[in-house]
Amino acid sequence: MKGHFGQFGGRYVPEMLIPALEELEKVYEEARKDKAFQKEFRYLLKTFSGRPTPLTFAKNLTQKLRGAKIYLKNEGLNHTGAHKITHCIGQALLARRMGKTRLIAETGAGQHGLATATVAAKLGFSCTVYMGEVDIARQRPNVFLIEQLGATVIPVKFGNKTLKDAVNAAIKDWIENVKNTHYLLGSIVGPHPYPTINRDFQSVVGREVKQQIKKEEGKLPDYIIACVGGGSNAMGVFDAFLKEKSVKLIGVEAGGKGSKTGENATRFPNGSVGVVEGYKSYFLQDSDGQIQKTHSISAGLDYAGIGPQFAHLKETGRVRFESVTDKEVLEAFKTLAKTEGIIPALESAHAVAYAIQLAPKLKKSEIIVVNISGRGDKDLFIVAKALKDKNFLAFLKEYIKTYE
Amino acid sequence: MNKLTLMAHLVVGYLSLEKTISIVKAMEKAGADFVELQIPFSDPLADGPTIMRACENSLANGTKVKDAFAVAQKLSKEVAIPLLFMAYYNTVFKYGVEKFCRDAKKAGITGLIVPDMSIEEESCEHFLQFCKKYSLHNIQVVSPSSTNERLKKNAKVANGFVYVTARQGVTGARAQLDKNLISFLKRVRQYFAIPIAVGFGISKKEHLKVLKGHADIAIVGSAIIDVINRSKGSKIEENISNFIRELKKPVAAV
Ligand SMILES: Cc1ncc(COP(=O)(O)O)c(C=O)c1O
Repeated sequence: MKGHFGQFGGRYVPEMLIPALEELEKVYEEARKDKAFQKEFRYLLKTFSGRPTPLTFAKNLTQKLRGAKIYLKNEGLNHTGAHKITHCIGQALLARRMGKTRLIAETGAGQHGLATATVAAKLGFSCTVYMGEVDIARQRPNVFLIEQLGATVIPVKFGNKTLKDAVNAAIKDWIENVKNTHYLLGSIVGPHPYPTINRDFQSVVGREVKQQIKKEEGKLPDYIIACVGGGSNAMGVFDAFLKEKSVKLIGVEAGGKGSKTGENATRFPNGSVGVVEGYKSYFLQDSDGQIQKTHSISAGLDYAGIGPQFAHLKETGRVRFESVTDKEVLEAFKTLAKTEGIIPALESAHAVAYAIQLAPKLKKSEIIVVNISGRGDKDLFIVAKALKDKNFLAFLKEYIKTYE
Repeated sequence: MNKLTLMAHLVVGYLSLEKTISIVKAMEKAGADFVELQIPFSDPLADGPTIMRACENSLANGTKVKDAFAVAQKLSKEVAIPLLFMAYYNTVFKYGVEKFCRDAKKAGITGLIVPDMSIEEESCEHFLQFCKKYSLHNIQVVSPSSTNERLKKNAKVANGFVYVTARQGVTGARAQLDKNLISFLKRVRQYFAIPIAVGFGISKKEHLKVLKGHADIAIVGSAIIDVINRSKGSKIEENISNFIRELKKPVAAV
């Protein structure tokens, strides 16, 4: 059935939203086959976002770990600093095609909100971004930038005040304003057709990797590793390889502070099947189906659900899931910066951390591609605090004085 | 002209489970014709701030899904008016769809309102099938954005009554009714042979006056929670009774 991935996915929404989702699906189906649409999409990816992003051989890290050869797909070099802009450009073009004048979005790390505000400015939409209060407190730089782009950030004060609550708030705005508003959902989650649309837009990443690695190595990689919040960056890099059975695909979840409930966001193995925010998938929930608190050092992985296609790929065994802790993530952040000159987003540092564990166990002839979904600029404050950097604290204290 | 009856809504366990029971009894005495018991959920997609906060409060009090069944069981013995459950689909799904329907029936519930269980998913979920098996009304929800096609589809499976949202939006008391409501209700009438219930935003007797003749049931939810929130503990039941009596005044059958 359309919009289902095995038993997962679907469109579990109040009747109020069905017409809008049907319209989006129909317009997307048309646009997919429309050469002019595809051409404009590719043009903006190239001339606005800066695609293709490079695939970089991590020579120093490879030598240090004495195992598999490691390549980095540097999605952080996209305009606005992460992969999110790709599906934002795609959806904004769909919104224009539907005659909508306003974009709304949820955001966790602020990257998706930033990318949405950016395409809104570029393509002439008004824009509202919903963000949990907890995330606003830890990602202020992005909030500031979103506002500079002309968008409004609305703090979400319900529930856990993080990403899932921002999704809820955005859906409610959409229900109220569906006539002129497109909900630019930021991952491969939500009701059909979002998981499909965002996967298709993001799949350019995997296609590029395929070409780039063939050019470098003359063969496909043995492993691809990506972090998984909702799953858009991971599905983007995996999609072109789903049928290449020799390529092992690994999704890395947020192990947070540890295995206790509420201290992580590992849907596997801690989640169970449920139907929330319009789709059926694995969710971190209690036996009554109430969504549980989650934690991750990275706001973008701090989410109780996971894209329905990943729930299916987990069940079929095509994608394997691992997790790393906040602590391991910080170590990986430092290591990548010092060995490769690349400062990854904390989300992406999850994938790096797992690659660092895996590489030494593999043969030198094997190849790992790590998806660096974003760059780390946005995490400056979090990392400085987590590393207890005294000079940065002194700077903040001094800097505040110049404000007063 | 058809009589306009009233369905009063309450979040189970808001303030406490005991309060839920005493409030529902007061609702019946004051003239409510149906009661909609909402099972609290952490992520209530179709609800505005008033009901969201009530859900949060209830969950913080420790309300479990099984408590909702216990409350229904007790109430159905003590009140004569029909009791319905409103729940989000995850609550039903996690409980087990068949078990939920069977236990709801056993607890004296007459109908289920599950707004995010869209009919397209029936072939995977068998929700309508189990409602039928256990003789529960599955209350379909339609809204001003529903196309005629959607109305037709829902009319095919709806029974009991159809829940019509008075506006395109989430729950929450509003001062004004949507100006296109009556023409929308006329459109709904063309497709549904069963009674029409109208909810979302209804908060005062003037609204019921407008609905009379165009709908069969008025649903009042957030406005009742607003009354609770304005009341001191011991006054809650009395204030709700007065509110419901006042609401029903202009539409009481002569
Ligand atoms: C850099 C970066 N990577 C990953 C994610 C996680 O999202 P997804 O799993 O959809 O790629 C985010 C989300 O905000 C992000 O900003």
